[in-house]
Amino acid sequence: MSMHASKAALSRRGFLGVAGGTAAVSALAACSGGGSGGGGGGGDTLKFWNMPWGGTEFNPRDKEITEAYEPGDGLPGAVYQEIQWANFTQTFSSAVASNTGPAVSSGGGTQAFLFESQGKIAYADDLLESWKSNGLYDDFLPGLIDAMKVEGGYAAVPYNLDMRVMWYNTTLLEQAGVEPPTDWPSYLEVSEALKGIGAYSFGVGAGSGSFTGSHIMTSFMINNGGGLFNADQEPECVTDANVEAMEFVLEMVAKGYVDPGSVTYTSDNVQSQWKDRRFAMGWDGAGLAANVGGEVAPELAVNSPLVGPHGDLGALYFPNNIMMYTNTPSQEGSEAFLTYYYQNMAPLWTEHTGIGLPPLRSIADTPEFQSDVNAVKIIEEWQPISRTWGAPGSDALFLGVTDVDGTPAMGTFTQQILSGAATAVDALTTLQQALEG
Amino acid sequence: MSTDSVAQSLRRARSGVGVAGAGRPPDARPKRVLSPRNVTMLALVLPSILLVLLLNAYPVLYAGVQSVRDGDLISAGDFVGLANYATVLSDPVFWQAARFTLVFTLVGVFGSWAMGMGLALLLRRRIPAGGVFKVLLLLPWVVPVVVSATSWNWLVATPQSPLPILAEALGFGRVLFLANPLLAQITVCVFKVWISFPFMMMMMGAALAAVDNNVYEAARVDGASGAQLLRTMTLPLTAKSTFISWILMTIFCVNDFPTVFLLTGGGPVNATQTLVVQAYRTVFLDFETGPGVAIAFLMTVVLVVISVVLYRSVKKVDIE
Repeated sequence: MSMHASKAALSRRGFLGVAGGTAAVSALAACSGGGSGGGGGGGDTLKFWNMPWGGTEFNPRDKEITEAYEPGDGLPGAVYQEIQWANFTQTFSSAVASNTGPAVSSGGGTQAFLFESQGKIAYADDLLESWKSNGLYDDFLPGLIDAMKVEGGYAAVPYNLDMRVMWYNTTLLEQAGVEPPTDWPSYLEVSEALKGIGAYSFGVGAGSGSFTGSHIMTSFMINNGGGLFNADQEPECVTDANVEAMEFVLEMVAKGYVDPGSVTYTSDNVQSQWKDRRFAMGWDGAGLAANVGGEVAPELAVNSPLVGPHGDLGALYFPNNIMMYTNTPSQEGSEAFLTYYYQNMAPLWTEHTGIGLPPLRSIADTPEFQSDVNAVKIIEEWQPISRTWGAPGSDALFLGVTDVDGTPAMGTFTQQILSGAATAVDALTTLQQALEG
Repeated sequence: MSTDSVAQSLRRARSGVGVAGAGRPPDARPKRVLSPRNVTMLALVLPSILLVLLLNAYPVLYAGVQSVRDGDLISAGDFVGLANYATVLSDPVFWQAARFTLVFTLVGVFGSWAMGMGLALLLRRRIPAGGVFKVLLLLPWVVPVVVSATSWNWLVATPQSPLPILAEALGFGRVLFLANPLLAQITVCVFKVWISFPFMMMMMGAALAAVDNNVYEAARVDGASGAQLLRTMTLPLTAKSTFISWILMTIFCVNDFPTVFLLTGGGPVNATQTLVVQAYRTVFLDFETGPGVAIAFLMTVVLVVISVVLYRSVKKVDIE
């Protein structure tokens, strides 16, 4: 009996010894890791993460451009990774927090400013300075580079432009016997005529995942000389200009020019309404006609910017950007790659991959781009008068704009206005309180 | 033979004392807690315990730490005590979300249970192509919720969608299923019942299958009506499964993110926002991890309380 027990004990001890040894070896192996986890690319390459900005052909073409990069002596090559929009905030945040993120990436329009506040962004000042000598710097459309400047430097480089513009259906306007509006009063007149043929003139969506509604509310404020932030980059929502702008939208709602379903329309619902010719006029991005497609697409045209009641012009736009991170195998390598990328990215636009509008004049001037009448109109008429979330206080972006870019507070505010559930003052006051909170 | 009543016996059983008596007196010798055998056993289970702690306890503890800090998605932030909880509890939007979560859960649990129970009873009967029906009825549960939500959105979202057209044809005028706050709440709840009833149908079907048909036949011989059978036989005999299904469905409903988020996003004007959607929006859209995690913890507390109450009901059913 004692012999048996002794054997058993020995056996257990032996087993534990082996188990302990195995665990220790595993732990040591895990801890050693070869040091390849960080560095925005794992030592001799840098990671470039880009989003699906266009159609199915965008990322493969973008990857080709990236993989054709031949680094200079001693500089890292680049590896390409497509990042889906779904949960992209979590994807980037967890990667950046764990130092396994990219060295260079695009992403959400305000993402650079969020990470800049965390000390994770490598400023682009030196890069932009170097571009003054190769012509790239002067090639940017007006105001774009300035929008990237924060207190510490340039947080990012402008990449593609996401505009919010006014579209109309030429056939429906013809059917209603009206011309496209030029200012707010004529917008009301045209809306009344369109209502007569059963069409809405303020086509927009503010439902799940659709932030266009909140963009358009802000656009109207900017069109009236207002906006959400003052010169100190603090939220200042309850201003005369904003109240007047929202009262105008509320008037559109009350008169039945706004589809009551807009409050919860997703992007798909909005496109469906354009396809069904229920929307005769509305507000959307530059890709609306392409997204709607079919026989309605050729009927859609971009209108000129409306003149506000006090003579103001203005709209909201998003200078999407590419940022560099401090976690990189080589800052010089990140800058060299971006220089190459910007000098070779034109096919993304000239081959119509579906990406937003180009940031460079040289691309906008190509015959391929000029063949798109609506896109040219947006670049020529809307881009120069458009402003960022920072309006009216500034043209630059900053951390505070992340409080309004696709946030619940802005979504609720927009739904309040589009449903006529609150007065302009009440809705703006609630928004102000939410932003201050 | 014991002279205890059944109730006394059950009480004794619950307290660990045999029905027939107090049993053998406990061993007077002090047990060695750290005997070689116990140490060995502990060492053997230690890796598993550590794994469970790492996978379950660590995230919970880390989340607990986040809920008392003012961090964001990248940085931990500073310690703020219970300020996040105070902020959340004083926010009217939280209470609005809590109220709708309650309604959503009650309708989800009892609506899907009633429907599932009814269909389970129906499918007990011999009907032509019963198997096909069972498969078809399972589809709402089987189909990914993203697909279901997209289908429902197509059904109700715009005035040109099938259901609004039908409602208008029936003389209800233009019905805005998702834009009207009350109708949006009703639509979301109905959607939840629709995707959940197959689960209840399976649970209750399994419970009903375990009931001996002779019991029903005996009751019918005694002249029991259908309603009496349901009230006095079916419901008591399936009570344990019912309570378990309620516990599970309560957890499913309270934690259900995609149903609401995909259909309405919590709108219009927060009308259909549940706590889990609010927690998500607070953390991932507002980048305020502290208040967001605080909401999640408050949800967890409520869920635990509800689960414990229902679980005690299950135990009670067991004993009875």
